[in-house]
Amino acid sequence: MKRFLAIIVLAGSVVLSFGRGFCFAGEIDILLQKLVEKGILTPGEAQQIATETKEQVKKEIAEGKYSSLPAWVQNTKLKGDFRLRYQYDHAKKLSATTPTDRHRGRIRLRLGLESKVNEKLLVGVGLATGLNDGSADASRSTNVSFSDSSSKKSLSLDYAFAQYSPVSWATLIGGKFKNPIWEPGDMLWDTDINPEGGALKLSKKISSNTELFMNTGILVIDEISNKDSDPTMYAVQPGIVQQLTEAISLKAAFSYYGFSGVKGKKLDGTAGTNSKTSADKLIYNYKNIMPAIELGIKEPLKALRLNIPYLALFCEYVKNIDSAVKDDNAGYMIGFKLGAEKIKKWADWQLRYNYARYAKDAFLDILPDSDRYGGKTGVKAHEIMFDWGLGENTWLGIDYYYGEQLKGNFGSNQSKPASVVQIDWNMKF
Amino acid sequence: MRGFMRFLILGLVLLGLAIPAYAKKKVVIAGSTTVLPIAQKAAEIFMNNKGEADISVRGGGSGVGIASLIDGTCDIADSSRPIKDTELDKAVANGRSPKAHVIAMDGICVVVHPNNPIVELTKKQIKDIYTGKISNWKQVGGPDQKIVVVSRDTASGTFEAFGELVLKGERVRADALMQASNQAVVSTVSKTPAAIGYVGLGYLTSSVKAVEVDGVKPSKENVLTGKYPIARPLFMYTDGNPKGLVKEFIDFILSQEGQKLVEEQGFVGLK
Repeated sequence: MKRFLAIIVLAGSVVLSFGRGFCFAGEIDILLQKLVEKGILTPGEAQQIATETKEQVKKEIAEGKYSSLPAWVQNTKLKGDFRLRYQYDHAKKLSATTPTDRHRGRIRLRLGLESKVNEKLLVGVGLATGLNDGSADASRSTNVSFSDSSSKKSLSLDYAFAQYSPVSWATLIGGKFKNPIWEPGDMLWDTDINPEGGALKLSKKISSNTELFMNTGILVIDEISNKDSDPTMYAVQPGIVQQLTEAISLKAAFSYYGFSGVKGKKLDGTAGTNSKTSADKLIYNYKNIMPAIELGIKEPLKALRLNIPYLALFCEYVKNIDSAVKDDNAGYMIGFKLGAEKIKKWADWQLRYNYARYAKDAFLDILPDSDRYGGKTGVKAHEIMFDWGLGENTWLGIDYYYGEQLKGNFGSNQSKPASVVQIDWNMKF
Repeated sequence: MRGFMRFLILGLVLLGLAIPAYAKKKVVIAGSTTVLPIAQKAAEIFMNNKGEADISVRGGGSGVGIASLIDGTCDIADSSRPIKDTELDKAVANGRSPKAHVIAMDGICVVVHPNNPIVELTKKQIKDIYTGKISNWKQVGGPDQKIVVVSRDTASGTFEAFGELVLKGERVRADALMQASNQAVVSTVSKTPAAIGYVGLGYLTSSVKAVEVDGVKPSKENVLTGKYPIARPLFMYTDGNPKGLVKEFIDFILSQEGQKLVEEQGFVGLK
């Protein structure tokens, strides 16, 4: 009852004080002190009321600020990032005409907008720099190089999608969207690829430590007007996220990719390393299974008193199980991430490493990271990356790739080593 | 295509079977490692008292707890600091309404050996001792003796609170003796005449001497009235006014029994 009376008195004083700005916090403290002195409140109750009142006022200010914005601003988020890159490519000189060294200045700009149509429906649109010419870089790179006498650079539609979430555990997506399939590394999917088609994502926490998910997609690779079997990918990925201990978490998934209309086609964006006929048409169909697992450990070296916030270890394996493909049909990637989970501020750092080895017909050569040996299949490659936080939303990155062609995959016994160094200044806004 | 459909149907069936099996209402608590022992102990007793309750408690830090509340993946966010303006903006934009519940106070005493003549230090002097700018007791009016700095290990909530309230982001000197518990700090300081340490108010014993900070004694009353400078409130945030089991749990922590548990964990109860 005492507390109830005190709250009534305080609520009255807060209401009366609103017209005089926000100086009432100090007045409440005085009032509470008086109530403690008169024995109406205990010091603990006074502390509780004072702190909770301040928090309530903060929240009301935030809610007021938010509700005063126009509805379209409340429902819309803008985001973007800019990257300035120096890139050095080096390949072993194999003939008089083979270029061995290349230096490039490059930029990447991405602008994105997401707007809520209603509580369950969201529309997203993104623009990005990059080529739009059907080349391997068209879907797998958003870089443009400093070239052509300071020519204007292209800005293309990077993604445009509608996302419908009828219930909290199910999301339907249609359009051109961020890859719905989870992968701990980038062996199969270049992270710049935004697939097109439809996807259904399901996820449900079944206990405080366990979440089940399933990602599915029907992803169109190409549309050929005079063909009734357009190249299409079907993906299903059930998986689990398990918090093993407070510090250790595990994410694992098993993916199945089926393709139709691929055999006998020449796909845009191909790196030209899958088995093909003399007319450059794919000899095989592709049907992939891909288990992947990632183990995350917070403060892994705490016992040694080394303050390293996070370590993640991952591996993934892929196999083309199409019965016609007898050889050169598998691959894997292993890697780790050490340091900050995300670069957020000055001196946050992150070291990442991966080793990938995949045969020429392990999966379609329109998909893997375009920086790893030119986005080809039939390669083995190391990648090491180091990021250093320069401040809020900005960081420096160094990325080094060393790759070789897998001997025998192309009837060649040359490994043709090639390396790439990228030095990036990243900014998010 | 047929293979795809088989996988899709199988996955949906498995998910569909799994969901009802786990549909029992639960309370998920996540956040501050400082608040974690209070939440764990309270959840244990609460579940014993109320058979049908299923409360899961995990740490992760205040930021993680508040982010989980905003994402809707926890019902109660433990926090050893008030919610930040940026977090509030994000919460409001996500349709959440974080409601603060102060459940305890965290008061930290600075302790020395009982024979040490020092009775008072300023917060600035304590910071300088812990960061290495002051290394001899004579620099603060004590005997000509090298100060032995005793600290909690970096994983502890007390270390986190001390760092935030006293060190203001600076690092503890490298030669500090890092102890795994409040009891270990008390034990080390009680056996080392030139030592200085810090412990939660609830762990203060007569084997060490608590010094005044900025002229204020470390006492429950001074912590609760906000006079003692090395103190902070501990929070549990809910999305709006708590209801059902969440409300019952918050009410339990704020009850006499809950506040007794708070004090048993070395914190200052509000009652």
